[in-house]
Amino acid sequence: MKLLIVEDEKILSDSIASYLRHENFTCETASGFSEAVEKIELFNYDCILLDISLQDGNGLDLLKEIKANNKMDGVLIISARNSLSDKITGLTLGADDYLPKPFHLSELSARVAAIIRRRNFGGNNTLRFNELSIDLQAKAVFISGKLVELTRKEYQLLLYFTYNKGRVVSKNAIAEHLWGDEMGGAANYDFIYTHIKNLRRKLMDSGGEDYIQSVYGMGYKFTAS
Amino acid sequence: MKLFTKYSRVNLVATIMVLVAGSICYYFIVRYTLLRQLDNTLKVEEAEIIDFVKNKGQLPEPTNYKDQLIRFKATEFPVRRRFRSISLYDQAEKEKDLYRTLIFPISVQGQNYEVSVSKSQAEKEDLLVLIVIITIGVVILLLLLQFLANRFLLRKIWHPFYGTLGSLWEFNLTKKQPVPYHPSDIDEFNELDNAVHQMTDKIFQDYETLKNFADNASHEMQTPLAIINSKLDLLIQDQNLEEKHVKQLQAMYDAVGRWSKLNQAVLLLTKIENNQFIHIERIGRSELVDEKLIQLEELVEARKLKLAFDKHDTVVQMNSYLADILLNNLLINAIRYNVEKGSIRISLTANQIKVVNTGTPLAFQPDTIFDRFKKGNYSDGTGLGLAIVKQICDKYNFGLSYHFEEPLHIFTVRF
Repeated sequence: MKLLIVEDEKILSDSIASYLRHENFTCETASGFSEAVEKIELFNYDCILLDISLQDGNGLDLLKEIKANNKMDGVLIISARNSLSDKITGLTLGADDYLPKPFHLSELSARVAAIIRRRNFGGNNTLRFNELSIDLQAKAVFISGKLVELTRKEYQLLLYFTYNKGRVVSKNAIAEHLWGDEMGGAANYDFIYTHIKNLRRKLMDSGGEDYIQSVYGMGYKFTAS
Repeated sequence: MKLFTKYSRVNLVATIMVLVAGSICYYFIVRYTLLRQLDNTLKVEEAEIIDFVKNKGQLPEPTNYKDQLIRFKATEFPVRRRFRSISLYDQAEKEKDLYRTLIFPISVQGQNYEVSVSKSQAEKEDLLVLIVIITIGVVILLLLLQFLANRFLLRKIWHPFYGTLGSLWEFNLTKKQPVPYHPSDIDEFNELDNAVHQMTDKIFQDYETLKNFADNASHEMQTPLAIINSKLDLLIQDQNLEEKHVKQLQAMYDAVGRWSKLNQAVLLLTKIENNQFIHIERIGRSELVDEKLIQLEELVEARKLKLAFDKHDTVVQMNSYLADILLNNLLINAIRYNVEKGSIRISLTANQIKVVNTGTPLAFQPDTIFDRFKKGNYSDGTGLGLAIVKQICDKYNFGLSYHFEEPLHIFTVRF
């Protein structure tokens, strides 16, 4: 899987690349409009991470360019301007998703994975991990073919973990993923613990392995080891 | 007191005083002149009588014409010569008339006589009365004209001034409506109008600049925040982290999260103010509350709060995003500043929503609760949640109120 990160903040694009490389993505970066245009014309990418405000041009124009060239690349817009009109314009122009800054890398990773999955495995909507299989269409989870009854939040949580396999995901990132902005920066995220506990119990009760590890109480890691 | 009233009052008093004084002087001068004229005629008569006595050596016949009387009276000593105004009975008109009389001595062959020559003063008095009447008439006419002029002319002249003043009263910075022009043919008022325009334009401009600055600053902060967040996300992947480091990292995560929320809140306030949420739809309030309560379920449970919801199915016309934020912030507030095992009661009626929660009394003035960045000592909130609620209510002209009835905090929104 090949990604292009179009972002003029080098430190940020380095962080993104560093995180995503672990997910077996090949990451290339472009720090400006012209460099991005060049790379897009030469290569095909599975997903392009596009910052709207670039020093030498508007990311939305770049998006038009991509779509005009009939490129099949998936596009995730990253923007410092969390504006509804930018979001609508971006999605209308053919972007797959919109992520306002600041974001958690785990969130970004999950969004990128979802975009690639939608584009490349159009027919096959099942995600597998050892004995675990997740039907994305039906939003159902099976362990060795047996259905596991999960609540909506537990399902979202499991999916989020599988998109961030082997990585420590912070409680903050989980809370933001599951509850969005509604929490308004809640004082503590202890209530997440209940959801994790229930999810682990349900998976283990259905004969699954315990893949979720707690890391110093600050986050969780979904790993086979 | 209005300038117009004050001016009229001073003007009226001054005018009356001058006119009264002028009239009195006028009266006396005319009267004096008329009497002098009469006296001169009497002196001519005196000279004729003295001439007659000198030539003829005897008194002339006393006469009694229509308006002139001459009488002689023998006296022991010569009388003092003098003018007098006396009342005499007029045979012809059968009434008393005022006569101007010159009394002087004359000696005929050693015998002293007192001669009195009288002439009717009535005509002169009539003339004087006429003059006085005309003068008073003119004065009254003048005052009346002045009053009318003040009333209508001044009102017309001052009209643009009141127009400008009215515009200033209605001036609202957030509504961005330019002040209308009030042209006048009075230079001072035009100058005032221009000054007002220049001032309001400048205020609008400065306000816009300031707002854009806050907006841009908040936007620009998102990228560094994204960098810090991403570095933290990478840092926690490190296998060699120790527990003490993790605690610090968690604090940094939380701080970045709060900062980012703060930025979003500031930007949201600007967006509401800039009317960027135009789309309006019908929103079922009960459904919205139900939806919100599901979203916030975990928070309510975490604090072991008792929740009650009195439903009432009505709809409200507003932007769905803002409706969501309005309710969300009110409920988050009721959860966050509640006490452990406290309670929340949400009551919907046809035209209001009431959120009542248990909690400790405020540490600040209750009437500042909707101010920006107003929060209690131990709050980790942004201090903007309720300010956003206020802004949304202002936008839709909803009534928003807060009061405290130990130990209940009561927030009411009237639609």
